[in-house]
Amino acid sequence: MQGRVGRTAGPGLRHRLRQRFREWVNRRIPAARAVTLDQKRIFIFPSRTGLFFALCLLVMLITAINYQNNMSFALTFLLATLFVVGVLHTYANLSGLTIRALRATPAFPGQQSEFSLQVERGRQRDHFGLHLKWPGSGDTWVNLTDQDMVQVHLHMAVGDRGWFSPGRLLLESTYPLGLLRCWTWIDLDLCAMVYPQPLACPELPGLATDNPDGAAIPIAGSDDFYGFTDYREGDSLRQIHWKGLARGQGVQTKRYAAYADRSVWLDWDMFAGMGTERRLSHLCYWALQFESRDQEYGLRLPGLALEPGKGDRHRDRVLQALALHGIQSRPR
Amino acid sequence: MKPDQQIPRNALVWIIISLFTLVAPHAERLPLWVLGVYVFAACWRIMVYQGRWSFPGRWVKAGLIVSSFAGIYFSYGSLIGLEPTVALLLTAFALKLIELARRQDGYVLLFLGYFICITEFLFSQDLLIVLYSLLNVTLVTTGLVAMHRPGENQFNRKTIRLATVMLLQALPLMVVLFFLFPRIGPLWTVPIKSHTAKTGVSDFMKPGDISRLGKSDDVAFRAEFSGDIPDAADLYWRGLVFSVLEEGAWRSVRYYDIPAAERRPGPVETSGAPLTYRIIMEPTQQNWLYSLRYARATSPGVMAGSDHVLFSPTELEDERLYSVESWPDAVLDPTLSQWRREVELRLPQGENPETVAFARRLRAESGSDAAFVDAVLARFTREPFAYSLNPPLLPGRNPVDAFMFQSRTGFCEHYAAAFVVTMRAAGVPARVVAGYQGGEINPVNRTVIVHQFDAHAWAEVWLAGQGWVRIDPTAAVSPDRIEWGLERALAGEGSFLRDSPLSLLRYRGVAWVNMLRLRYDALTYRWQSWVNGFNREKQFQLLNDVFGGISARKFILVLIGSWVLILGPVAFGLLRRRERRATSPSDKYYLAFCDKLSRVGVTRAAGETPEQYSARAERAMRPMAEQIRQITRLYTALAYRPAAVADGRLNTLERELERSVRNFRPGRR
Repeated sequence: MQGRVGRTAGPGLRHRLRQRFREWVNRRIPAARAVTLDQKRIFIFPSRTGLFFALCLLVMLITAINYQNNMSFALTFLLATLFVVGVLHTYANLSGLTIRALRATPAFPGQQSEFSLQVERGRQRDHFGLHLKWPGSGDTWVNLTDQDMVQVHLHMAVGDRGWFSPGRLLLESTYPLGLLRCWTWIDLDLCAMVYPQPLACPELPGLATDNPDGAAIPIAGSDDFYGFTDYREGDSLRQIHWKGLARGQGVQTKRYAAYADRSVWLDWDMFAGMGTERRLSHLCYWALQFESRDQEYGLRLPGLALEPGKGDRHRDRVLQALALHGIQSRPR
Repeated sequence: MKPDQQIPRNALVWIIISLFTLVAPHAERLPLWVLGVYVFAACWRIMVYQGRWSFPGRWVKAGLIVSSFAGIYFSYGSLIGLEPTVALLLTAFALKLIELARRQDGYVLLFLGYFICITEFLFSQDLLIVLYSLLNVTLVTTGLVAMHRPGENQFNRKTIRLATVMLLQALPLMVVLFFLFPRIGPLWTVPIKSHTAKTGVSDFMKPGDISRLGKSDDVAFRAEFSGDIPDAADLYWRGLVFSVLEEGAWRSVRYYDIPAAERRPGPVETSGAPLTYRIIMEPTQQNWLYSLRYARATSPGVMAGSDHVLFSPTELEDERLYSVESWPDAVLDPTLSQWRREVELRLPQGENPETVAFARRLRAESGSDAAFVDAVLARFTREPFAYSLNPPLLPGRNPVDAFMFQSRTGFCEHYAAAFVVTMRAAGVPARVVAGYQGGEINPVNRTVIVHQFDAHAWAEVWLAGQGWVRIDPTAAVSPDRIEWGLERALAGEGSFLRDSPLSLLRYRGVAWVNMLRLRYDALTYRWQSWVNGFNREKQFQLLNDVFGGISARKFILVLIGSWVLILGPVAFGLLRRRERRATSPSDKYYLAFCDKLSRVGVTRAAGETPEQYSARAERAMRPMAEQIRQITRLYTALAYRPAAVADGRLNTLERELERSVRNFRPGRR
């Protein structure tokens, strides 16, 4: 019975301890766009290798004692004090670094978002073997030797619609001796926007258009090509005349005839009776559909209307509106 | 493999370098094939790096390990003892290189490297070895640093800089710890040097034994007198007393053959001030300690035998320091016990009949034992006896007869043995004493350096009323040997150190070589007495002297205090905010110009452009206006219009700016 109580208490206690630790770290290292590392933020402790090294030192010490060999004593002490000096050098490898949040690319749920950071050094000294990682992201190692700053890109799968916060960034290093591990958990004020999960539905229930008669417009067959225009920012990459570009004619965009007069409104009210997320998912699906068909579309959400348009920039605005619908602000 | 697990090429090169520098000092004790394993391992690892070979499989590894165990066993005859253990360690070290793939392997390899440095000290704590080991530690540490620089795939000489800096910072901390760390006795017995040859005078003496030592220029021991150094002719360093002649060899009386009552040395009356001195012996793997007669040791752990020689209960595996007081004129054994008299008179039956007959005849002609001694010595002087390092071999049964009446050529042990046989045949108690005679006085630190070639054998004769009296028959044959040493005595023969052409002692005639040798020897002596001789007693004494008493609290305070004192500046140097350097040379010159102006009161305001500043400065210092304008013009040309400045003119402009700033000397107002 007692064992059982112990077992149930164990995880609870551990959970509470972890909670307390997280709160303590949050107080100690608050979130910021850029964090400069100083003694308040850097933790240092012997690494597993360091413990192994200590064991080796013990063997050396016993050898020195048993053989009463003064030079062996001296060497053992030299290595022990090297360990101590290593504390300062390991610490100096992180100290003075500034980690700056650059951007995070938006992504659909379950997809990878790219988080970009910049690591800058504050002093004229070389930094080696800086290991950066978010829980759940890939690993990166960087050196700061020739240049004063380096950009780091980490990829991580994002969660549900809205803002995705990657949590605390781990920055650690064991340079120069590997005997000590120096690390910090930084809460960078960096979030990735997560679009709604596109959810297919066979047809748009009540299609609202700009046409006076209100009839549905056939969507297919809208790609009657009529000519080229010079590329303008915001044009879809898909419509760039690549062959022409390769021939050296400059960047041109293919223009299609049908879209000017066939704009569609995607409306919140089209999916009446469904839940918020489902509505947004369907709207998202259709926005992507129209975009891929190169057709103009607008968006109407409660309290927000985006005039019909198309192109990458328009699509991003639409997706952003869908992603942040009903979400007050960035977390924190 | 994750990038943090890879071993950069730079690290690999450093590791291979340290591998070979680590094994080098061990090489003299290792079978040749172990060095072969090193070359083999390095080649294999390089082949793996080049992608031509692959890492060894599990069975290949097992095969290599088993065969190296077997190899060590066959080379040394056992796996127990210090030498085979170290050889095993060194072989494992080389084999680990072959499978060095991940960083974890690197740690094991390099930590093993540190340990191999320690094993070298178990064989020698010579100053040169210590300095060399410091280099080894630096190289191993460099390997460790290089392993943590991912992506450094070019050999980088500069990596050693950080390792050196860190070790230099650690060194003072180490010194503090070295002196403060409590020394305790051995925790358990450890493998000893079972395969190191015994050196110096051995515990029994055959003709030819001492002359073999006469060919070695190794140092046997060094002695430092607190007062004047006695004459070279009086420096008879007693080591062993040989009382038993058995099967043509002399040996000491075995401890258990001595009657219990006589195992301890008899009382000796001493008068006057003793000679006080201390000796540092090189390791001999034997027990004998050398001293002038009559010696009493003042260091603990030194025993005295029944024949007034000193010895250590354990074999001398390392340098040994001991202090002695000697009364050269004290009478040894004024009375001789019956047992002792019998031992000191015993001769093998029927051997050397000619010598026995001669001795009895001569004793009968002499009035007393003392007169008999003189008569025998006179015969050595009168007859054509010769002193030689390479005497002819003496035939079988009656070697003393052959020496006394035919060859008449021998080294000191021949004379000593023949003399003692002659004495005993005539009923005079006598024995052979082996040790060293003389020594070289080092003018640098006034120590006496005794070399192996100073090994000597002489006789002691017991005379009523005088006890044991030292008689050196060699002195009768070759007075030079006693007065001037072996080199002078062998000048005619030319055999001194003939087989050691590289010995520095052969070049004693070249003043600077000799001075260098003696200086180094003095350094070695100081090193040995200070660092190797540092033990628990010394530590207590030192700490008592420095801190006036020893307490745990004081210890900890001193330790922490000194570390803070040392680590503080290191931390400051490492962590102080150092601004990024001004990038271009033109910025540097311009800042120097601003500096000069600011010293005379025209300080550049924040956000002020060079032109605005120039205008203000020109107004403030009319006579220098032209110069100020010129410098500003040059600087703006360099800083803001680099594209307009053709490549060829950039350097010219920079030099011009530098010169103008240098010549710009605003006078103080």
